[in-house]
Amino acid sequence: MNINAPRVGSMQFMAKDFCERAGLGYVDSPPYSERTVELGVSVSPEHLCFPMKILLGSAIEALEDGADTLVTVAGFGPCRFNYFGEIQKRILKREGFEFEIVVFDGPRDAPVSFYRNVRRVLSGSPLGPVRFLRLLPLTVLKGRCYDEIEKQAMALRALEVEAGSVDRAAEECLSMLLPAQSRDEVEEVRCAVAERFQTVEVDKARLHLRVGLIGELMTCIEPYFNFDAPRWLAKKGAVVERSLHMSDIFTPMGRNPVFGADDREIGLAARPFVCHGIGGHGQINVAAAAMFARRGFDALVHFAPFACLPEVIARTVFSRISNEFDIPVLSISVDEQTGREGIQTRMEALTDLAWSRYRERVNAEERESVKA
Amino acid sequence: MRIGLPRALLFHHYGECWSSFLSDLGFEPVISENTTGDTVIRGTVVADNEACLPVKVFAGHLLELSELSDAILVPRVVSQQRGMKACPKYLGLPDLARSMDSAMPPVLAPVMDLGATWNRWAREWYEIAVKLGVGAEKASHAVRKMVSSLRAGITETVEPTPSDFRVGVAGHLYNVHDHRVSLGLLDRIREMGAEPLTVEQVPRRLVRRELKALPRKIKWEFENRIVGAVLHWNRAGDVAGVIYLNSFACGPGSMIGALIDDELSREGSVPLMTITLDEHSGETGMVTRIEAFLDMLRRSRIDTAPGARDKRGGGGE
Repeated sequence: MNINAPRVGSMQFMAKDFCERAGLGYVDSPPYSERTVELGVSVSPEHLCFPMKILLGSAIEALEDGADTLVTVAGFGPCRFNYFGEIQKRILKREGFEFEIVVFDGPRDAPVSFYRNVRRVLSGSPLGPVRFLRLLPLTVLKGRCYDEIEKQAMALRALEVEAGSVDRAAEECLSMLLPAQSRDEVEEVRCAVAERFQTVEVDKARLHLRVGLIGELMTCIEPYFNFDAPRWLAKKGAVVERSLHMSDIFTPMGRNPVFGADDREIGLAARPFVCHGIGGHGQINVAAAAMFARRGFDALVHFAPFACLPEVIARTVFSRISNEFDIPVLSISVDEQTGREGIQTRMEALTDLAWSRYRERVNAEERESVKA
Repeated sequence: MRIGLPRALLFHHYGECWSSFLSDLGFEPVISENTTGDTVIRGTVVADNEACLPVKVFAGHLLELSELSDAILVPRVVSQQRGMKACPKYLGLPDLARSMDSAMPPVLAPVMDLGATWNRWAREWYEIAVKLGVGAEKASHAVRKMVSSLRAGITETVEPTPSDFRVGVAGHLYNVHDHRVSLGLLDRIREMGAEPLTVEQVPRRLVRRELKALPRKIKWEFENRIVGAVLHWNRAGDVAGVIYLNSFACGPGSMIGALIDDELSREGSVPLMTITLDEHSGETGMVTRIEAFLDMLRRSRIDTAPGARDKRGGGGE
């Protein structure tokens, strides 16, 4: 049994790690490329949203590479993604691929189907269901560590003295994380990671912007969709913080350890603008926008696939957030026609605006202090 | 006090219950006029440009009401049946309305969650009524009446008119039954000599039976209805063809569009045509397509009718 899971941030890492420890085969989807987009767009109906087209293309690439079981997550949200598993199965069968697909719903929404799905994945593993499920928490913990490394890298990249030193540190940290086999070992790795990042030389006095990156899961996390916005922004002197992390979604009880606010706080922060869950990650993005603005960020960048249902609503709300907190918000829709240059021009305009506002504020503060 | 009700989206499903709720409270319900070209244009200007057509139409109706009423009622419909989900657009509709135009009158957004037991959401309606200065007894009476009428409203089905050339029109009620949005689709079909059959004319019982066969449940109520009706028409063969009316950028609609497409692409299925609507759709393009589709259906009926070959042979000689 060769399993493949969608490639989104740390999801691939977690799935691979889990399969290795459970004695299952795993096939990586290759990194997203133009070929992925072409394959996906050629088989999918016009009106599917962009991430779905990409996932289809990516699934085809994985099936070509020898995967035979596609594992994916659906959930019973109001967003159209909840029916994607079924559409994906039909489209790929029509294209003549031989495979099995296991669509996981949340264990709380559909306990019976969750158990059945576990059994189906289990048929290729030597482990029993209990030991199998016991592997999960450690996987999520490792995913969390992965996301924390990424978060730290985004926060430091704009301040690094030597270009590329943060990326090198992040890579080393990931290779340390890979072999960890128990809770204690992961804790050790986390300490080692903190130490490793301490050794990176940073210029703490350097002037920098703070930019919040929010948006739909795929477009916000995967560098292929947002044209590597975090790195690009870092070059323009921006420390970046992101609202969504894959391991937060898998952490039970709505704790979101990497983002750092639990679901209740998110609901409260979003309440003046959106007072009900709107599916997908609309609510958490609105909350994150409000939280970032309150913490004094200089700008927000919002990525969403074209016509994404929850994000369209979130976006209409951003104009209010922008007015209320006096913060520039740039919202970018991404689809298969989007080009890198167009996006970068717009992000450049945003960073220029943010820098001029920043300098104005610093000058005003200086004048104040001279007066005093 | 005049309270506005936009004649768009879910008004086509629950409008009567909502407006009688308002008049029970002693308010004057102001219902916007039927959609016109102007409504669509005004809505398109203020709404997000990636929103679907019905949401843009909704925005147009809101603008119309903003001058005529002191408050606007935009209930937040969370689900229509137990275990079902609403489209994110319905969930965020009040927030959308609030952030659209700063000159709007206050938006009243009580939750309506028919999937949950009514005492969990009816309280919000009651509180809003009390806040507007209605006595407690009158308010609770109005809420009770509305809840029971909402429940009763769900089961009604309209008997189809008898005809031997029927075309199924599948699509959201707020698109199909809005004359401007659907560009008069139903009337056009009638003018061309066919009888349109809409989704709500298929009894729920049959819809449920068809849905059982699907490998994965659909979680949106209206889309469930549409898919069930289309599958029923396909199996029972009581329509000559199916027209699926979808609005551009409709999320659930795009998913079930793909599903219907797949189900009806099998051998021996009823012919299917998908029409996608947006604010730029023109009547002429639509008429041409319906005409072509109906002509094709008529021709295939003649071809497959008993004795068709003799007739055609006779004509050729």
